[in-house]
Amino acid sequence: MLNTQPAPSRPGPSLDLYAVALALLAALLVRFNLIPPIKW
Amino acid sequence: MIPAHQTNISSSKETSIATAAIATPKAESFGQRAVALVPGLLLLGAVGYAGKFIELSINAYAKAHHTPFPDIEFVLWAIVIGLIIANTVGIPRIFAPGVATYEFWLKAGIVLLGSRFLLGDVLHLGGISLLLVAIALSLSLTFMHLLGRAFKLKPKLTSLLAIGSAICGVSAIIAAKPSIDADDEDASYAIAAILALGAISLFTFPLIGHALHLSDKAYGLWAGLAVDNTAEATAAGALYSDAAGKVAVLAKTSRNALIGFIVLAYAIYWSSRGQAQVITNKAQFLWKKFPKFVLGFLLISLLATVGFFSKPQLASLANLSRWAFLLTFAGVGLRTNLRELGRQGWRPFAVGAIGEAFIALLTLGLVYGADHYLKL
Repeated sequence: MLNTQPAPSRPGPSLDLYAVALALLAALLVRFNLIPPIKW
Repeated sequence: MIPAHQTNISSSKETSIATAAIATPKAESFGQRAVALVPGLLLLGAVGYAGKFIELSINAYAKAHHTPFPDIEFVLWAIVIGLIIANTVGIPRIFAPGVATYEFWLKAGIVLLGSRFLLGDVLHLGGISLLLVAIALSLSLTFMHLLGRAFKLKPKLTSLLAIGSAICGVSAIIAAKPSIDADDEDASYAIAAILALGAISLFTFPLIGHALHLSDKAYGLWAGLAVDNTAEATAAGALYSDAAGKVAVLAKTSRNALIGFIVLAYAIYWSSRGQAQVITNKAQFLWKKFPKFVLGFLLISLLATVGFFSKPQLASLANLSRWAFLLTFAGVGLRTNLRELGRQGWRPFAVGAIGEAFIALLTLGLVYGADHYLKL
């Protein structure tokens, strides 16, 4: 299995915070029509 | 973009057991780290899009030729393609940092998925999930410890397996490891067992769900409560149906929210036995261990509930979430190395497997009960 080593703890913001920040930024871009509609 | 050091593929190769199949090359500056992510991200995109392309092609062929063919979601194709690549040609090191971002896309996708839930639904289904998790937790933790004793596993390895299978897989084990001063080797064993069992559940859960004719909600709740790792729980739900995938994410997110409390309980237990550090500030400890993407999910759900987004915008956010999950599912297949299964000790795997089967049955019973009495 990949990723079976425990990740070392490091200082700085967590992965979660980066993910939340990116998602919120994307939500704002969509809300204020700064990016075209996203299709699937 | 996330720095490579925030990803979960460690560059360390200290133990031969459960060694990561690929490792992160050391990058120095932010720019170099960002560039190092590109090949793996392209691979994730290519594998995920290939899965989507196969699904669309099969559906188009079946429609054009009036051939009845089951609609197999892109999720399965993306995972299978990833599995084939990882277990035949392998993943060259250059792709490692980018592939490791699959967990980042999972969390971003979950936050965006919040837009598809009204806050009332979140509280209703999330509340039911928490109630079922609390019942399942107490029974499954007890069962796992009895199993660990029966199979003569080291107590801390048993604790890690119990936390991983009862709460939330790899993240919970990583969160618990320093808190209970567990060995690297124990954590590697526990993570390997949980990932292997997660891979198996991807293929068994949808089959069982269809055999039992579970509704989307009941199946999604079951997958979210029983499948350990968040990526696998999301994939197992999505393999059943889009609606089931949504519910699985919600149930799993509720479960994730409990990580801190369980890890704290174990830390207090082990420190009371003089085998772990004493926790002085419990509130700070809980906040540190709390998965922050749960708050992002709730915030987006709240914004959607108060009408911050128009309908087309909600559709865009839902599609963005799907694209993020597409990268995640590709990563699930790419990071699964079946050869490593044979290199694990059989006892941790046996304890994990028996424990998982117990938890799957227990949660299935609870979901049936909740469906009947609490109206999912």
